[in-house]
Amino acid sequence: MLAPITYIQPLTTLRRTRYLPVEGAITVGLGDRLRASDVIAHTGVHKQHMMLDAARALGVPANRVDKFIQREVGETVEEGAIIAGSRGLASRQLRAPVAGRIAAISEGQILLQASDESLHVYARVPGLVIDIDPGHSVTLECICAWIQCLWGNGLSGEGNLHMVADGPQHQLTADQIDMSLRGAILIAGHCSQRQALELAGQVPIRGLILGSLATRLIPVAEKMEYPIAVIEGFGQIPINADAYTLLNMHKGETAALNAEANAPYAGLRPELVIPLSEAGRPPQPVEMQSFRIGQTVRVLSGRYKGQLGEIIELRDNVIYESQLRGPAAELTLLGGGRARVPLVNMELLG
Amino acid sequence: MSEHTPHLPNALVAIDLGSVTTRAHFFDAVEGRYRFIAAGEAPTTAGAPTLDANHGILQALAELQTITGRQLLNERGLLLANNTESNLGAHALTATFSAGPPLRVITVGLLDGVSLHSVNNLVDSFRCEIVDSLSLGDRRSPERVIDAISQNLPDLIVVAGGTNRGASLSVVRLANYLALALKLLPENSRPPVLFVGNENVQSEIEGLLSPLTDLYKTTNIRPSLDHENLGPAEAALGMLLFEIQARKLKGLDQLSRLAETRLMHSAQAFGRTVRFLSTVIDAPKGILGIDLGASSTTVASAFGGELEVRSYPTLGMGSSLGGMLAETQLQQITRWLVDDLPDDFVLDYLYNKTLLPGTLPSTTQELGIEMAAARQVVRLAVGKSLPMFPANAIYPLTGTVPWFDRILVAGSTLARHPRPEHSLLAVLDAVQPVGIVTIILDQNHLASTLGAAAAVDPLLAVQVLESNAFMNLGTVIVPVGSARPGSTVLRVQLEREGHKEDVVEIVEGDITVLSLPPGKVADLFVQPLQNMNIGLGPGRGGWIRRVVGGAFGLIFDTRGRPIQMPTSFNKRQELLQTWERRLRGGS
Repeated sequence: MLAPITYIQPLTTLRRTRYLPVEGAITVGLGDRLRASDVIAHTGVHKQHMMLDAARALGVPANRVDKFIQREVGETVEEGAIIAGSRGLASRQLRAPVAGRIAAISEGQILLQASDESLHVYARVPGLVIDIDPGHSVTLECICAWIQCLWGNGLSGEGNLHMVADGPQHQLTADQIDMSLRGAILIAGHCSQRQALELAGQVPIRGLILGSLATRLIPVAEKMEYPIAVIEGFGQIPINADAYTLLNMHKGETAALNAEANAPYAGLRPELVIPLSEAGRPPQPVEMQSFRIGQTVRVLSGRYKGQLGEIIELRDNVIYESQLRGPAAELTLLGGGRARVPLVNMELLG
Repeated sequence: MSEHTPHLPNALVAIDLGSVTTRAHFFDAVEGRYRFIAAGEAPTTAGAPTLDANHGILQALAELQTITGRQLLNERGLLLANNTESNLGAHALTATFSAGPPLRVITVGLLDGVSLHSVNNLVDSFRCEIVDSLSLGDRRSPERVIDAISQNLPDLIVVAGGTNRGASLSVVRLANYLALALKLLPENSRPPVLFVGNENVQSEIEGLLSPLTDLYKTTNIRPSLDHENLGPAEAALGMLLFEIQARKLKGLDQLSRLAETRLMHSAQAFGRTVRFLSTVIDAPKGILGIDLGASSTTVASAFGGELEVRSYPTLGMGSSLGGMLAETQLQQITRWLVDDLPDDFVLDYLYNKTLLPGTLPSTTQELGIEMAAARQVVRLAVGKSLPMFPANAIYPLTGTVPWFDRILVAGSTLARHPRPEHSLLAVLDAVQPVGIVTIILDQNHLASTLGAAAAVDPLLAVQVLESNAFMNLGTVIVPVGSARPGSTVLRVQLEREGHKEDVVEIVEGDITVLSLPPGKVADLFVQPLQNMNIGLGPGRGGWIRRVVGGAFGLIFDTRGRPIQMPTSFNKRQELLQTWERRLRGGS
């Protein structure tokens, strides 16, 4: 059976292709070295428009108004500038109510783009631009340590990693947060305290990577204005040993926390990227593997959830404790003991 | 039933590309009749990290090959044999799919209750998310509407409006808003538009929108105020949605080429099977179908071949559990739990399931949570579907589903439960049917597949439906009315093979089972007391001929509608355990 994989890699070559949601203008070039917060493209999709009815303003039928429109799509106009007008003694004019750009004209209706604010696309991970599909996408490459997470609140940020956790079972509380953490990405265990999330936002920190989050705090985390990513899931689950060791190894270093929401069909998952210099050119992560004896896996569900183990036996048609049937693996748990786990309830650590 | 026609393919492989699991089913003609032989399955690989559905399809086929011992694969993939007598490969392939993100659609209609209602019905029959709707009744300013259209970045815009002899100016005005919104998007990023409105303004719509984007036109879904005609538009929309999805989902296009024209959206294929059932069996009161999937739930009803389908992409047992949780009080789930579990434990399990939809319940507590959540997902989906059931159906009680002859339930959560009485109880708790209804469980995940396979040979669908590939759970008799718990509400008597059995008294507030094995039929005399209504009218009863048996026989569900659960956990637990025991034949 093909195994789902979560990557926790001390050293890898990570490639990320950022696709523009609509065709737009790429603002970076091949060979540029980018930070996660850099804009890589902007699109022509603007946020606010005003509709001006030229036919009504001039008092002419819609099918005859085109010849009175004095501006073309793309032209910028100052506030009060004439956009359309008729000639004659009783001439009437349509003037721009605000400064802007003529965005579209159709059947006597004119759309004025009143703001320059448009949809930008950010790099979200640091790296070297290695490929550009003009108008559509930018591919970045980064030599890094890399941890994939399970949930993110949609935001991204950069900062120095600060280890708040004193162990995988750590609980984040408000009294652990102070102004000295300003600008940092915090690494913490479990959070079930609303004040801790809110206080971190007031400091403000640049990001929070958690082992697990209390389910009832999901709406709070979604409202925070800094990125939050969760490695293990919801409920009280310790950080797995591999991730904890890697995070601890890189405390104090600069990292990018891309807490984007899961979009499996687009290949997007929240992730922490710790750029590493002078690291040579490590291989890219393996994309596809089947379960095999000797592999280290993480248990995703059930009574051993969050634990790591080594596969010592693979079996077909096992009856689980729930009485459902299916293939399963016998594991030696790294924390001690053995477990029988359905194959669908575990994943490889890549 | 006629015998299998020799020139048609014998061996058929049907692929179902689900959001979590990819299945490959094998059907073959055995002694002149089609039979479901076996299925192979594998995790769907359309998502990360592989992002290619082909891997999962090949794995499912490889497992099927191992199980059947028939060579189905060669070095290029699925082996399709031209010779229908060949013992190698498959003679034909059909496919269904529900994998992929739900497509984002904007709907446009003139009047909320007329064309907008129809176009929403049309789009809702597919696994789509309607991200915005626009009509003449829209209270937003035109520029806000235009901004909403351009910023929502829809995959598709579907425009209805105007009867064929009706409004034309208003339709054109709305289309002009669309034109402006489309002009705000880069040329190569504009969504296609499907026009299903007033056929007399098609040329004006074409003049406005064709220069801007791909415009597709089909017959008016509302040719007159009192007539809705969704059929041709469904076909056009299905094709268009497939093309859009195929650009997002690697492997779908290849599957489509193999299946030629026989690739269908799972919801449509499921609906086709429900419609098919309503035409081939004696079901004057209609068929209800419920497909409880991981990423969506489909509800279909068919009365005499008239089909209605609704697909709910926010209601499912995997990634879309969040949609159910967003509109549910936790107590609406926990009331169905036999175990006394902390609220946080239940919520943690369900929210983690949204992140890891492929995981299975490995403990009895987790299985209990899934079955409780399944009840609520189905309850919500059926509740949202109530307006689609015909007004002239029989409603023994207002606010419930109408009286159906059959309820077909599908979906892994219900089909894989090791004890089918739990699945039956979950269906009864969730749908809360009325009247006299037979419950059929799609234990082999065939319902959608058969809808697509019927395109190869309708006989295949008929013969497999008649086989034991589906599990008849039993026939349920539900009296409604007002009676004191414990008081007698029905007197019933079975007559089988000319032998009348003892009269049995059925009391209010319980589940009572009379044995009638699968494949057996009997006549049932029912005498309602206390003015109870079993669907024939208050207090009316009589002989009900040829009642069909099932795995759990005849089930009398007198728990009232809606079912009221006690607030005390201990009492609830006792009730739930009692009902399960009753279904197992215990007293």
